[in-house]
Amino acid sequence: MKCCHLWVGGDLLMNIENSLILGGQKFESRLLVGTGKFSSVDVMLAAITASGAQLVTVALRRFNRERPSDDLLSPLIKLGITLMPNTSGARNAAEAVRAAMLGRELSGSRFVKVEIHPNPHHLMPDPLETYDACKQLAKEGFIVLPYMPADPVLAKRLEDVGCAAVMPLGSAIGSGHGLSTAEMVKLIIADSGIPVIVDAGIRAPSEAAAAMEMGCGAVLVNSAIAAAGDPAAMASAFAMAVKAGSAAWQAGLMAQSGHAVATSPLTSFLAGDQA
Amino acid sequence: MITELPPELDPSSWLSLAHLASESDVRRALSASVPTEADFAALVSPAAEGLLEEMAQRAKRLTETHFGRTISLYAPLYLSDFCPGGCAYCGFAADRNQPRRCLNRDEMLCEFAALKAMGFEEVLLLTGERSPQADFPYLRDSVAAAASHFAAVTVEAFPMTLVEYRELAAAGCVGVTLYQETYDPVQYDVLHRWGPKRDFANRLEAPSRVLEAGIRTVGLGALLGISDPMLDTLALYRHARALRRKYWQSGITISFPRVCPQEGGYQPPFPVDERFLARIIFAFRICMPDVPLNMSTRENAGFRDGIAGVGISKMSIASRTTVGGYGEPTTSPDGQFQINDDRDIETFFAALRSKGLEPVFKNWDRVYNLDQ
Repeated sequence: MKCCHLWVGGDLLMNIENSLILGGQKFESRLLVGTGKFSSVDVMLAAITASGAQLVTVALRRFNRERPSDDLLSPLIKLGITLMPNTSGARNAAEAVRAAMLGRELSGSRFVKVEIHPNPHHLMPDPLETYDACKQLAKEGFIVLPYMPADPVLAKRLEDVGCAAVMPLGSAIGSGHGLSTAEMVKLIIADSGIPVIVDAGIRAPSEAAAAMEMGCGAVLVNSAIAAAGDPAAMASAFAMAVKAGSAAWQAGLMAQSGHAVATSPLTSFLAGDQA
Repeated sequence: MITELPPELDPSSWLSLAHLASESDVRRALSASVPTEADFAALVSPAAEGLLEEMAQRAKRLTETHFGRTISLYAPLYLSDFCPGGCAYCGFAADRNQPRRCLNRDEMLCEFAALKAMGFEEVLLLTGERSPQADFPYLRDSVAAAASHFAAVTVEAFPMTLVEYRELAAAGCVGVTLYQETYDPVQYDVLHRWGPKRDFANRLEAPSRVLEAGIRTVGLGALLGISDPMLDTLALYRHARALRRKYWQSGITISFPRVCPQEGGYQPPFPVDERFLARIIFAFRICMPDVPLNMSTRENAGFRDGIAGVGISKMSIASRTTVGGYGEPTTSPDGQFQINDDRDIETFFAALRSKGLEPVFKNWDRVYNLDQ
């Protein structure tokens, strides 16, 4: 059965302890959150706490060492969770690598979210530059999580160069258009030896649950929380949805029946048929 | 003299729609998932006046989607007010009877320090038209000096050559703002009475050179009030769209300066009131949802507070439009334009926060600049 096969494959990925493993580090929470777009640092911190996330991403360009009131890094360090600086703003591999190095130096974290979007308007990731940057950064000892187009071939290429996970987009950043790439994400999951984390586009907790039910290792959510009416309450709703989706996936969804079963079997002519 | 815009910028075929659109055209534009140029024309048309609230609601949702609950901040820094130009509407025009100055290195550092003390991390360096006092090497060296103090340095000066823009990029410039002022070549010719700025085509083509040279962002705008605002708005839309198509790895920003009466008696012949200005801003937000839209302190506090996050995503505050205005705040009040929002940073921040908007000083990092 197809669902059985997926379940087995997923079990290997998710491992028996039901934790997400990235770069050898274990995370109980499968909800990753972003730190941009919040109406204040306090709202952001309350939302992160409510989300239960243990891995958060923060843009290097929002680090402000000279002015604590404008800085996102120091309040996040105080939270005591794992930080993943991102290279948002980079338009090619060289810039992303430089940003990653600086991000590691300032945050003390080996995690990096490679984010290369040459077009500053729609923010779609550049597959070629992303590949080059990931290859270099993995060699440099980073735990590399690339934000990428939902392309199954690129996902394998990124796995081959040593990424700790791949992060295909569900839809455009900030769009709230949900899992418009669901079919491609399923293909990525089917062949991936590393966790698949849907990043970008998710609007509702139900979409996060759906991603987990497909077999994603985690989901990364930012705008849907930051732009919610009550960001902390929405963060908590996402936490529950991710847990529910993850549990559902591990339980194994029943098979979907696509058509009615014929009353006159088509195989009755076969020798040895018991009908 | 040029009398016609190049076809990709010429908005003539949309002008009648912009003037004559019906309310149903506007409603259709408001419900379009991917608004077209016809939708843009309908949204700036007088028929949209009755649907301004609906436009604002949609603009706010789109601004929040693309820019979050934040407002990026920048500060203008006037390096020089020497100008050989004869712009009829400008407080720095060559025939204005006022003392001129150009910051030397020490004075510049003093301005940098004052802006840094306020928290600014993005600075916009301004000069007049190219002059012996503020020529290209002066500007390039000023950019390099500023780039060692600020996360982002941008320039609003005079049209340059491709080679000069490349040098500017190498010095650390990440953005160039260059308003066409008006896209109507005839009116342009009337208003730009003498000096290098009379060259309409050179100015019009400069934004392409900016992006060709590898500078990340170009800021466009029309000086609303000096010419038919319908034509200028439609041509501005076309200009932004053409640049985005050609330079897909670059950013566009759009500003909405409105001309105010200046010494010299200039009165804008096509005044744009607040509601029309808001309509133009909302139309751009709805039709170009992911383009940063900027607002200076030309507008008053009430308008700025109202439109922050409802279309506008980037703002200046506590600005001085005089040369040396930050380091020596008691100098002459005769700036390039009248400041209508003279609040200090804390008062402005409190207003933004009461709307649920977070002011952000640093939204860039030098690590991304060329040739590190």
